[in-house]
Amino acid sequence: MKTCLIVDDSRVVRKVAARIIQDLKFNIVEAGNGAEALKACRESMPDAVLLDWNMPVMNGLDFLRALRREDGGKKPLVVFCSIENDAEHINEAIRSGADEFIMKPFDADILESKFAEVGLV
Amino acid sequence: MKDEVFNELADLALKGSGQSIPKSKAYLIEARLAPIARREGFGTMEDLVHCVKSRANPAFISEIAATLVSKDTRFFRERDTLQRVLTDVLPERLKATNTGRLKIWLAGGSTGQEAYSLAILLEDELPPALRGAKIEILSTDICKVTTENARMGRYGHYDVQKGLSIHRLTKHFNRLETGQWEASEALRSHISFRQHNLLESAAGLGKFDVIICRNVLPGMARSARVRVVESLASQLVPGGLVLLGQGEGLIGLTNKLEPARDFRGAWVAAGTANAAASAA
Repeated sequence: MKTCLIVDDSRVVRKVAARIIQDLKFNIVEAGNGAEALKACRESMPDAVLLDWNMPVMNGLDFLRALRREDGGKKPLVVFCSIENDAEHINEAIRSGADEFIMKPFDADILESKFAEVGLV
Repeated sequence: MKDEVFNELADLALKGSGQSIPKSKAYLIEARLAPIARREGFGTMEDLVHCVKSRANPAFISEIAATLVSKDTRFFRERDTLQRVLTDVLPERLKATNTGRLKIWLAGGSTGQEAYSLAILLEDELPPALRGAKIEILSTDICKVTTENARMGRYGHYDVQKGLSIHRLTKHFNRLETGQWEASEALRSHISFRQHNLLESAAGLGKFDVIICRNVLPGMARSARVRVVESLASQLVPGGLVLLGQGEGLIGLTNKLEPARDFRGAWVAAGTANAAASAA
Protein backbone atom coordinates (compact mmCIF):
# COMPACT_ATOMS: atom_id res chain seq x y z
CA MET A 1 0.00 0.00 0.00
CA LYS A 2 1.24 3.49 -0.84
CA THR A 3 1.91 6.08 1.83
CA CYS A 4 0.77 9.70 1.83
CA LEU A 5 2.26 12.30 4.14
CA ILE A 6 -0.27 15.02 4.99
CA VAL A 7 1.40 18.26 6.06
CA ASP A 8 -0.87 20.94 7.47
CA ASP A 9 -0.88 22.92 10.70
CA SER A 10 -4.64 22.49 11.00
CA ARG A 11 -5.59 19.26 12.72
CA VAL A 12 -9.07 19.52 11.20
CA VAL A 13 -7.72 19.74 7.63
CA ARG A 14 -5.37 16.80 8.30
CA LYS A 15 -8.26 14.76 9.64
CA VAL A 16 -10.56 15.53 6.70
CA ALA A 17 -7.81 14.89 4.13
CA ALA A 18 -6.74 11.68 5.89
CA ARG A 19 -10.25 10.28 5.72
CA ILE A 20 -10.50 10.99 1.98
CA ILE A 21 -7.02 9.71 1.13
CA GLN A 22 -7.47 6.54 3.20
CA ASP A 23 -10.45 5.77 0.98
CA LEU A 24 -8.04 5.99 -1.97
CA LYS A 25 -6.09 3.10 -0.34
CA PHE A 26 -3.18 5.01 1.16
CA ASN A 27 -1.46 4.66 4.53
CA ILE A 28 -1.40 8.04 6.21
CA VAL A 29 1.42 9.84 8.04
CA GLU A 30 0.76 13.32 9.42
CA ALA A 31 2.97 16.33 10.14
CA GLY A 32 2.03 19.75 11.55
CA ASN A 33 4.72 21.76 9.76
CA GLY A 34 7.55 21.51 7.24
CA ALA A 35 10.23 20.60 9.78
CA GLU A 36 8.19 17.68 11.13
CA ALA A 37 7.46 16.62 7.56
CA LEU A 38 11.16 16.66 6.61
CA LYS A 39 11.94 14.49 9.65
CA ALA A 40 9.20 12.05 8.61
CA CYS A 41 10.59 11.88 5.06
CA ARG A 42 14.11 11.18 6.34
CA GLU A 43 12.72 8.24 8.32
CA SER A 44 10.71 6.88 5.42
CA MET A 45 10.14 8.55 2.05
CA PRO A 46 6.38 8.61 1.26
CA ASP A 47 4.87 8.05 -2.20
CA ALA A 48 2.80 11.22 -2.02
CA VAL A 49 2.76 14.45 -0.02
CA LEU A 50 -0.29 16.68 0.43
CA LEU A 51 1.27 19.99 1.40
CA ASP A 52 -0.07 23.19 2.95
CA TRP A 53 1.69 26.50 2.22
CA ASN A 54 1.47 28.65 5.35
CA MET A 55 2.68 26.83 8.46
CA PRO A 56 4.75 27.78 11.52
CA VAL A 57 8.41 26.66 11.94
CA MET A 58 8.89 25.74 8.26
CA ASN A 59 6.41 26.62 5.51
CA GLY A 60 5.39 24.35 2.65
CA LEU A 61 7.57 25.98 0.02
CA ASP A 62 10.75 25.74 2.14
CA PHE A 63 9.91 22.12 2.95
CA LEU A 64 9.40 21.29 -0.72
CA ARG A 65 12.72 22.82 -1.77
CA ALA A 66 14.50 20.97 1.05
CA LEU A 67 12.73 17.71 0.19
CA ARG A 68 13.79 17.85 -3.44
CA ARG A 69 17.44 18.17 -2.30
CA GLU A 70 17.23 15.09 -0.04
CA ASP A 71 18.40 11.62 -1.10
CA GLY A 72 15.32 10.05 -2.71
CA GLY A 73 13.49 13.37 -2.33
CA LYS A 74 12.51 13.51 -5.98
CA LYS A 75 10.39 10.37 -5.61
CA PRO A 76 7.30 11.63 -3.75
CA LEU A 77 4.60 13.22 -5.86
CA VAL A 78 3.80 16.48 -4.13
CA VAL A 79 0.35 18.00 -4.30
CA PHE A 80 0.28 21.51 -2.86
CA CYS A 81 -2.93 22.35 -1.08
CA SER A 82 -3.27 26.01 -0.26
CA ILE A 83 -5.53 28.98 0.13
CA GLU A 84 -2.88 30.96 -1.84
CA ASN A 85 -4.50 30.33 -5.21
CA ASP A 86 -3.43 33.12 -7.56
CA ALA A 87 -1.38 32.25 -10.64
CA GLU A 88 1.81 33.68 -9.11
CA HIS A 89 1.70 31.40 -6.05
CA ILE A 90 0.71 28.40 -8.15
CA ASN A 91 3.60 28.95 -10.58
CA GLU A 92 6.03 29.38 -7.70
CA ALA A 93 4.90 26.07 -6.21
CA ILE A 94 5.33 24.30 -9.56
CA ARG A 95 8.76 25.85 -10.12
CA SER A 96 9.80 24.66 -6.67
CA GLY A 97 8.94 21.07 -7.51
CA ALA A 98 5.22 20.57 -6.86
CA ASP A 99 3.49 18.11 -9.21
CA GLU A 100 -0.06 19.36 -8.68
CA PHE A 101 -1.90 22.11 -6.84
CA ILE A 102 -5.20 22.06 -5.00
CA MET A 103 -6.88 25.35 -4.20
CA LYS A 104 -8.55 25.27 -0.80
CA PRO A 105 -11.30 24.61 0.09
CA PHE A 106 -11.41 21.16 -1.46
CA ASP A 107 -13.69 18.15 -1.41
CA ALA A 108 -13.20 14.41 -1.98
CA ASP A 109 -13.89 14.73 -5.71
CA ILE A 110 -11.19 17.38 -6.16
CA LEU A 111 -8.64 15.44 -4.14
CA GLU A 112 -9.27 12.25 -6.07
CA SER A 113 -9.19 14.14 -9.39
CA LYS A 114 -5.83 15.76 -8.54
CA PHE A 115 -4.33 12.46 -7.35
CA ALA A 116 -5.50 10.93 -10.64
CA GLU A 117 -3.81 13.74 -12.62
CA VAL A 118 -0.42 12.69 -11.28
CA GLY A 119 -1.10 8.96 -11.53
CA LEU A 120 -1.48 8.30 -7.80
CA VAL A 121 -4.86 6.61 -8.29
CA MET B 1 -43.96 18.32 -3.11
CA LYS B 2 -47.59 17.38 -3.70
CA ASP B 3 -48.22 14.65 -6.30
CA GLU B 4 -50.22 16.92 -8.59
CA VAL B 5 -47.46 19.58 -8.56
CA PHE B 6 -44.81 16.95 -9.30
CA ASN B 7 -46.93 15.47 -12.10
CA GLU B 8 -47.40 18.86 -13.76
CA LEU B 9 -43.69 19.67 -13.67
CA ALA B 10 -42.61 16.17 -14.74
CA ASP B 11 -45.03 16.38 -17.67
CA LEU B 12 -43.67 19.78 -18.61
CA ALA B 13 -40.11 18.35 -18.57
CA LEU B 14 -41.15 15.40 -20.70
CA LYS B 15 -42.83 17.55 -23.34
CA GLY B 16 -40.25 20.31 -23.34
CA SER B 17 -36.98 18.40 -23.20
CA GLY B 18 -37.84 14.70 -23.30
CA GLN B 19 -36.62 14.22 -19.72
CA SER B 20 -38.19 11.43 -17.71
CA ILE B 21 -38.03 12.44 -14.06
CA PRO B 22 -39.14 9.78 -11.56
CA LYS B 23 -41.01 10.77 -8.40
CA SER B 24 -37.99 9.69 -6.34
CA LYS B 25 -36.13 12.65 -7.87
CA ALA B 26 -38.73 15.30 -7.01
CA TYR B 27 -36.01 16.97 -4.93
CA LEU B 28 -34.09 17.65 -8.17
CA ILE B 29 -37.05 19.56 -9.56
CA GLU B 30 -37.20 21.72 -6.44
CA ALA B 31 -33.44 22.34 -6.46
CA ARG B 32 -33.25 23.22 -10.14
CA LEU B 33 -36.34 25.42 -10.22
CA ALA B 34 -35.61 27.28 -6.97
CA PRO B 35 -33.71 30.14 -8.70
CA ILE B 36 -36.59 30.71 -11.17
CA ALA B 37 -39.17 30.56 -8.38
CA ARG B 38 -37.16 33.12 -6.37
CA ARG B 39 -36.70 35.40 -9.39
CA GLU B 40 -40.42 35.33 -10.20
CA GLY B 41 -41.46 35.74 -6.57
CA PHE B 42 -43.18 32.38 -6.14
CA GLY B 43 -43.23 31.16 -2.55
CA THR B 44 -43.81 27.52 -3.48
CA MET B 45 -43.62 25.18 -6.46
CA GLU B 46 -47.41 25.07 -6.29
CA ASP B 47 -47.52 28.82 -7.03
CA LEU B 48 -45.19 28.32 -9.98
CA VAL B 49 -47.33 25.52 -11.43
CA HIS B 50 -50.45 27.60 -10.88
CA CYS B 51 -48.89 30.44 -12.88
CA VAL B 52 -47.83 28.11 -15.70
CA LYS B 53 -51.34 26.68 -15.95
CA SER B 54 -53.24 29.95 -15.67
CA ARG B 55 -51.33 31.96 -18.27
CA ALA B 56 -49.63 29.93 -20.96
CA ASN B 57 -46.30 31.57 -21.72
CA PRO B 58 -44.32 29.37 -24.13
CA ALA B 59 -41.00 31.11 -23.39
CA PHE B 60 -41.42 30.63 -19.64
CA ILE B 61 -42.46 26.99 -20.09
CA SER B 62 -39.41 26.35 -22.30
CA GLU B 63 -37.19 27.97 -19.72
CA ILE B 64 -38.57 25.71 -16.99
CA ALA B 65 -38.11 22.59 -19.15
CA ALA B 66 -34.54 23.60 -20.00
CA THR B 67 -33.73 24.35 -16.39
CA LEU B 68 -34.84 20.86 -15.37
CA VAL B 69 -32.19 19.22 -17.57
CA SER B 70 -29.07 18.01 -15.75
CA LYS B 71 -26.01 20.19 -16.20
CA ASP B 72 -23.63 17.61 -14.81
CA THR B 73 -20.32 17.71 -16.67
CA ARG B 74 -16.60 18.13 -16.07
CA PHE B 75 -13.34 18.77 -17.88
CA PHE B 76 -11.87 15.76 -19.69
CA ARG B 77 -14.75 13.45 -18.85
CA GLU B 78 -13.98 10.08 -20.46
CA ARG B 79 -10.57 11.43 -21.44
CA ASP B 80 -9.54 8.34 -23.44
CA THR B 81 -12.43 8.85 -25.85
CA LEU B 82 -11.54 12.50 -26.47
CA GLN B 83 -7.93 11.50 -26.98
CA ARG B 84 -8.96 8.89 -29.52
CA VAL B 85 -11.08 11.38 -31.40
CA LEU B 86 -7.99 13.53 -31.77
CA THR B 87 -5.42 10.87 -32.62
CA ASP B 88 -7.47 8.39 -34.68
CA VAL B 89 -10.89 9.63 -35.73
CA LEU B 90 -10.12 13.14 -36.94
CA PRO B 91 -7.03 12.18 -39.01
CA GLU B 92 -9.08 9.39 -40.65
CA ARG B 93 -11.90 11.78 -41.38
CA LEU B 94 -9.52 14.37 -42.77
CA LYS B 95 -8.10 11.81 -45.20
CA ALA B 96 -11.61 10.91 -46.28
CA THR B 97 -12.92 14.44 -46.79
CA ASN B 98 -10.18 16.28 -48.73
CA THR B 99 -11.86 19.60 -47.82
CA GLY B 100 -9.40 20.29 -45.01
CA ARG B 101 -12.34 21.02 -42.76
CA LEU B 102 -13.70 18.94 -39.86
CA LYS B 103 -16.73 19.62 -37.71
CA ILE B 104 -17.48 18.28 -34.22
CA TRP B 105 -20.80 18.72 -32.46
CA LEU B 106 -21.12 18.40 -28.70
CA ALA B 107 -24.84 17.76 -28.41
CA GLY B 108 -26.01 18.62 -24.91
CA GLY B 109 -22.70 20.31 -24.16
CA SER B 110 -23.98 21.92 -20.95
CA THR B 111 -21.62 24.54 -19.49
CA GLY B 112 -18.89 23.86 -22.05
CA GLN B 113 -16.26 21.85 -20.16
CA GLU B 114 -16.15 19.10 -22.80
CA ALA B 115 -15.84 21.62 -25.63
CA TYR B 116 -12.99 23.41 -23.87
CA SER B 117 -11.33 20.04 -23.14
CA LEU B 118 -11.33 19.26 -26.86
CA ALA B 119 -9.98 22.74 -27.62
CA ILE B 120 -7.17 22.16 -25.09
CA LEU B 121 -6.27 18.93 -26.87
CA LEU B 122 -6.24 20.77 -30.20
CA GLU B 123 -3.89 23.37 -28.72
CA ASP B 124 -1.60 20.99 -26.81
CA GLU B 125 -1.57 17.70 -28.68
CA LEU B 126 -2.50 18.31 -32.29
CA PRO B 127 -1.22 15.33 -34.29
CA PRO B 128 0.96 16.17 -37.33
CA ALA B 129 -1.74 14.68 -39.58
CA LEU B 130 -4.14 17.44 -38.49
CA ARG B 131 -1.81 20.39 -38.99
CA GLY B 132 -3.40 22.93 -41.26
CA ALA B 133 -6.88 21.43 -40.92
CA LYS B 134 -9.74 23.70 -39.96
CA ILE B 135 -11.41 22.01 -37.00
CA GLU B 136 -14.62 23.56 -35.72
CA ILE B 137 -16.34 22.61 -32.48
CA LEU B 138 -20.01 23.42 -31.92
CA SER B 139 -21.42 23.00 -28.43
CA THR B 140 -25.18 23.21 -27.99
CA ASP B 141 -27.42 23.13 -24.97
CA ILE B 142 -31.15 23.44 -24.49
CA CYS B 143 -30.79 26.12 -21.82
CA LYS B 144 -30.14 29.74 -22.85
CA VAL B 145 -28.43 30.67 -19.59
CA THR B 146 -26.23 27.56 -19.68
CA THR B 147 -25.26 28.32 -23.27
CA GLU B 148 -24.36 31.89 -22.35
CA ASN B 149 -22.27 30.66 -19.41
CA ALA B 150 -20.48 28.20 -21.68
CA ARG B 151 -19.76 30.96 -24.18
CA MET B 152 -18.27 33.17 -21.45
CA GLY B 153 -15.99 30.28 -20.45
CA ARG B 154 -15.78 31.34 -16.81
CA TYR B 155 -15.50 28.64 -14.20
CA GLY B 156 -15.40 28.59 -10.43
CA HIS B 157 -12.97 27.11 -7.96
CA TYR B 158 -14.62 23.67 -7.85
CA ASP B 159 -15.22 23.28 -11.60
CA VAL B 160 -11.62 23.97 -12.64
CA GLN B 161 -10.24 21.47 -10.17
CA LYS B 162 -12.14 18.49 -11.52
CA GLY B 163 -10.49 16.88 -14.52
CA LEU B 164 -8.14 19.76 -15.29
CA SER B 165 -4.47 19.61 -14.28
CA ILE B 166 -2.92 22.67 -12.69
CA HIS B 167 -0.56 22.95 -15.68
CA ARG B 168 -3.46 23.15 -18.12
CA LEU B 169 -5.41 25.47 -15.86
CA THR B 170 -2.61 28.04 -15.66
CA LYS B 171 -1.73 27.66 -19.34
CA HIS B 172 -5.22 28.01 -20.80
CA PHE B 173 -7.21 30.02 -18.25
CA ASN B 174 -6.77 33.43 -16.71
CA ARG B 175 -7.73 34.09 -13.12
CA LEU B 176 -10.18 36.98 -12.77
CA GLU B 177 -10.48 39.30 -9.79
CA THR B 178 -13.72 37.52 -8.92
CA GLY B 179 -11.72 34.33 -8.31
CA GLN B 180 -13.20 32.70 -11.42
CA TRP B 181 -10.99 31.32 -14.18
CA GLU B 182 -11.66 32.41 -17.78
CA ALA B 183 -10.81 30.36 -20.86
CA SER B 184 -8.16 31.95 -23.09
CA GLU B 185 -8.97 33.52 -26.45
CA ALA B 186 -7.04 30.72 -28.13
CA LEU B 187 -9.40 28.10 -26.67
CA ARG B 188 -12.49 30.11 -27.45
CA SER B 189 -11.44 30.55 -31.07
CA HIS B 190 -12.03 26.81 -31.66
CA ILE B 191 -15.62 26.75 -30.36
CA SER B 192 -19.00 28.23 -31.13
CA PHE B 193 -21.95 27.89 -28.77
CA ARG B 194 -25.59 27.78 -29.67
CA GLN B 195 -28.86 27.15 -27.86
CA HIS B 196 -30.57 24.10 -29.33
CA ASN B 197 -33.26 21.70 -28.14
CA LEU B 198 -32.29 18.17 -29.22
CA LEU B 199 -35.97 17.34 -29.72
CA GLU B 200 -36.10 19.85 -32.55
CA SER B 201 -34.67 19.49 -36.04
CA ALA B 202 -30.90 19.95 -36.17
CA ALA B 203 -30.85 20.55 -39.92
CA GLY B 204 -29.88 24.19 -39.39
CA LEU B 205 -26.71 23.20 -37.56
CA GLY B 206 -25.15 21.51 -40.60
CA LYS B 207 -23.43 18.15 -40.94
CA PHE B 208 -20.71 16.82 -38.67
CA ASP B 209 -17.79 14.42 -38.82
CA VAL B 210 -18.11 13.59 -35.13
CA ILE B 211 -21.11 14.04 -32.83
CA ILE B 212 -20.48 13.61 -29.11
CA CYS B 213 -23.62 13.17 -27.03
CA ARG B 214 -22.79 11.88 -23.57
CA ASN B 215 -24.95 11.54 -20.48
CA VAL B 216 -27.89 13.09 -22.30
CA LEU B 217 -29.91 10.09 -23.46
CA PRO B 218 -30.09 8.13 -20.17
CA GLY B 219 -32.29 10.78 -18.56
CA MET B 220 -34.75 10.80 -21.44
CA ALA B 221 -37.98 8.92 -22.07
CA ARG B 222 -37.65 6.22 -24.73
CA SER B 223 -39.66 8.11 -27.35
CA ALA B 224 -37.46 11.18 -26.88
CA ARG B 225 -34.29 9.06 -27.10
CA VAL B 226 -35.43 7.64 -30.44
CA ARG B 227 -36.17 11.11 -31.76
CA VAL B 228 -32.84 12.54 -30.62
CA VAL B 229 -30.76 9.61 -31.91
CA GLU B 230 -32.39 9.74 -35.32
CA SER B 231 -31.83 13.48 -35.46
CA LEU B 232 -28.13 12.99 -34.60
CA ALA B 233 -27.85 10.24 -37.24
CA SER B 234 -29.26 12.56 -39.90
CA GLN B 235 -26.58 15.20 -39.14
CA LEU B 236 -23.62 12.88 -39.82
CA VAL B 237 -21.54 13.30 -42.93
CA PRO B 238 -21.00 9.97 -44.74
CA GLY B 239 -18.42 8.09 -42.68
CA GLY B 240 -18.97 10.26 -39.59
CA LEU B 241 -19.62 8.85 -36.14
CA VAL B 242 -21.69 9.43 -33.04
CA LEU B 243 -20.03 8.97 -29.65
CA LEU B 244 -22.11 8.18 -26.60
CA GLY B 245 -21.10 7.95 -22.93
CA GLN B 246 -19.75 4.80 -21.33
CA GLY B 247 -22.44 2.21 -20.93
CA GLU B 248 -24.93 4.06 -23.13
CA GLY B 249 -26.35 1.89 -25.89
CA LEU B 250 -28.74 2.22 -28.78
CA ILE B 251 -29.66 -1.40 -29.37
CA GLY B 252 -33.38 -1.62 -30.04
CA LEU B 253 -33.74 2.17 -30.28
CA THR B 254 -32.94 2.83 -33.92
CA ASN B 255 -31.97 1.07 -37.10
CA LYS B 256 -30.20 4.15 -38.46
CA LEU B 257 -27.00 3.63 -36.49
CA GLU B 258 -24.88 0.57 -35.72
CA PRO B 259 -21.85 0.08 -33.47
CA ALA B 260 -18.56 1.09 -35.06
CA ARG B 261 -16.03 -1.73 -35.27
CA ASP B 262 -13.06 -1.45 -32.91
CA PHE B 263 -14.36 1.66 -31.14
CA ARG B 264 -16.53 0.96 -28.14
CA GLY B 265 -19.19 3.63 -27.61
CA ALA B 266 -18.99 4.87 -31.21
CA TRP B 267 -21.85 4.49 -33.70
CA VAL B 268 -21.89 4.89 -37.45
CA ALA B 269 -24.63 5.03 -40.10
CA ALA B 270 -26.28 1.62 -40.48
CA GLY B 271 -24.66 -0.56 -43.12
CA THR B 272 -21.31 1.27 -43.04
CA ALA B 273 -19.45 -0.29 -40.06
CA ASN B 274 -18.01 -3.15 -42.12
CA ALA B 275 -17.30 -0.89 -45.07
CA ALA B 276 -15.41 1.55 -42.82
CA ALA B 277 -13.39 -1.30 -41.30
CA SER B 278 -12.41 -2.78 -44.65
CA ALA B 279 -11.51 0.66 -46.03
CA ALA B 280 -9.24 1.19 -43.01
